[in-house]
Amino acid sequence: MALIDVQNLKKSFGPLEVLKDISFQVNKNDVIAVIGPSGSGKSTMLRSLVNLETIDGGTVKIDGEYLIEQGKYPSTQQIKTITGKMGMVFQHFNLFPHLSVRDNLEVAPKMLKTEAPKAIRARANDLLQKVGLADKADAYPANLSGGQKQRVAIARALMLNPQILLFDEPTSALDPELTGEVLKVMKDLAEEHMTMIVVTHEMGFAKEVANKVMFMADGEVVEAGEPKTFFENPQHPRTQDFLRKNLK
Amino acid sequence: MEDFMSMLLPMLEGAKMTVLLFLIAIVLSIPLGFLLTLAVRSSFKPLSWFAQAYIYVMRGTPLLLQLLIICFGLPMIPVIGEYLVLDRFVAACLGFVLNYAAYFAEIFRGGLLAIDKGQYEAAQVLGLNKFQTTTRIILPQMFRIALPSVANESVTLVKDTALLYAVAVPELLHYAQTVVNRDFTIVPFLVAAVLYLIITLVLTAFFKWLERRFKFE
Repeated sequence: MALIDVQNLKKSFGPLEVLKDISFQVNKNDVIAVIGPSGSGKSTMLRSLVNLETIDGGTVKIDGEYLIEQGKYPSTQQIKTITGKMGMVFQHFNLFPHLSVRDNLEVAPKMLKTEAPKAIRARANDLLQKVGLADKADAYPANLSGGQKQRVAIARALMLNPQILLFDEPTSALDPELTGEVLKVMKDLAEEHMTMIVVTHEMGFAKEVANKVMFMADGEVVEAGEPKTFFENPQHPRTQDFLRKNLK
Repeated sequence: MEDFMSMLLPMLEGAKMTVLLFLIAIVLSIPLGFLLTLAVRSSFKPLSWFAQAYIYVMRGTPLLLQLLIICFGLPMIPVIGEYLVLDRFVAACLGFVLNYAAYFAEIFRGGLLAIDKGQYEAAQVLGLNKFQTTTRIILPQMFRIALPSVANESVTLVKDTALLYAVAVPELLHYAQTVVNRDFTIVPFLVAAVLYLIITLVLTAFFKWLERRFKFE
C-alpha cells in the first residue's frame, strides 16, 4: 500500500487554478524529486499534504488514513494526527530566531510531551551530530550560515520521528557553495531509507538521489518516472523543453 | 548651600511623585495595551471594533484633555458625577494608563505584523496548537521586536508626567515652578531638567540592557 496516495487534487486561488487534478503515489522509502517551472503548483501540492494549504477537491490518504476524502477534511484532531506523520523543511528555514539551535529542536517535542525530557535531549544531540552541528547547539540562528540553518531545520523536522519528510525547495535560498552541505544531509537520509518528497531545482539531486522524478507544469503532473528514463528519454514536449533549459 | 537644599528637597519629593506615576502607568498600561492588541485581532468583531475605536479616540485626542476630563469633567456629570470624584493622583494614573495602553497596543500590533508567516507555518507543522504557538513562538518575538519602540514610548511617558502640573498634582515640575515663583530664579527649572535627564538616562540604560539581554545572537 502506498504511504501517500493523492487522487485528483484540485486547488484554485480565486480564478487561478493552481492544481488541476493531481494524482500520484509515494511508496515507503521513495525519494521523489518534484521539478518544474515556478508557478507550476509544486509547492502548493507539497504544502497541501501538511495542511498548510486547504484544497478544493480530491483525496489524500497518508499511511492509510484520509487527510482529505473527496474534498472533505476530518476533524482538526484527526488532521493533526495525520499531518504529524510528516516533517517539513522550508525554503526559508523558518527557524525560531529567539531560540537557540538546541531549543529549536526541543521546543515541539517538549511541548507535545512526545518523550521524557532526557530522551528529547539525547535525541537532539544525536541529530545535531548527524547533521554535523553538534558544536552549534547553543548558537542562535542569527549566527549560522544558510546551509547550517537548513541543516538545523532538517534536524528539527526529524525530532518528531516523521515517516515522511517533505522539502520545499530546501536549497533555493542558499548561496551556491552552501547547497552541497544540505544536499549531503538529504542524501544521507535517502540512504537510510527515509521517505522523502523534495520540491527542487537541483537536477543533480533529482538524477542521483531520487528514485522517481515528477515533472509538474501549469498545475498538472506532466510526466513522472525513474530518473534515468526521465532525463535521458523524456516523452512530453514540455518536459523536453524544460530539461533543455535547465540542464547544461 | 542651604538655599539650594531648600530648593532641591521639595523637588526631589516631586521627582518621587513623577517616578511613582511613571512606574504605575508603565506597569499597568503595557499589559492593558497587550490585551487591546489581542482584542483588535480578535475574530469576534464587536470586540475588535470596540478596541479599534478605543485606540482611535485615545490617540486622537490630547492626553491633557483626557486628564482634564477625568479630573474635572467627570464630577460635573449630572447625577453620577458625585461618585466620580477621584483622588487627583489616582485620576491622573487612570488617565495615563488608559492613554498609554492605546499606544502600546499599536506598538505590539506592529510587532506582530513584523513576524514572518513562516513562523506560524513551522509551528503548525511541528504540531504546536494555537496557544502554544502564540505563547512560545510568537509573543517572545513580538516583545523583542517591540522593545525599541516600547523604550521610546517610555521616555515620552516620563516627560508626559509633567502634564500633572495642569491638574495640580504636586510632581517635579510643580515644585520647580513654585520655587521659581518664590525665589525668582531660573535655577529650579534647570534642576528639574537635570532630574528629568537622570530619570530618562536610567530608563534608557535599562532598556539598552534589555535589548542586549534579548538579542538572540
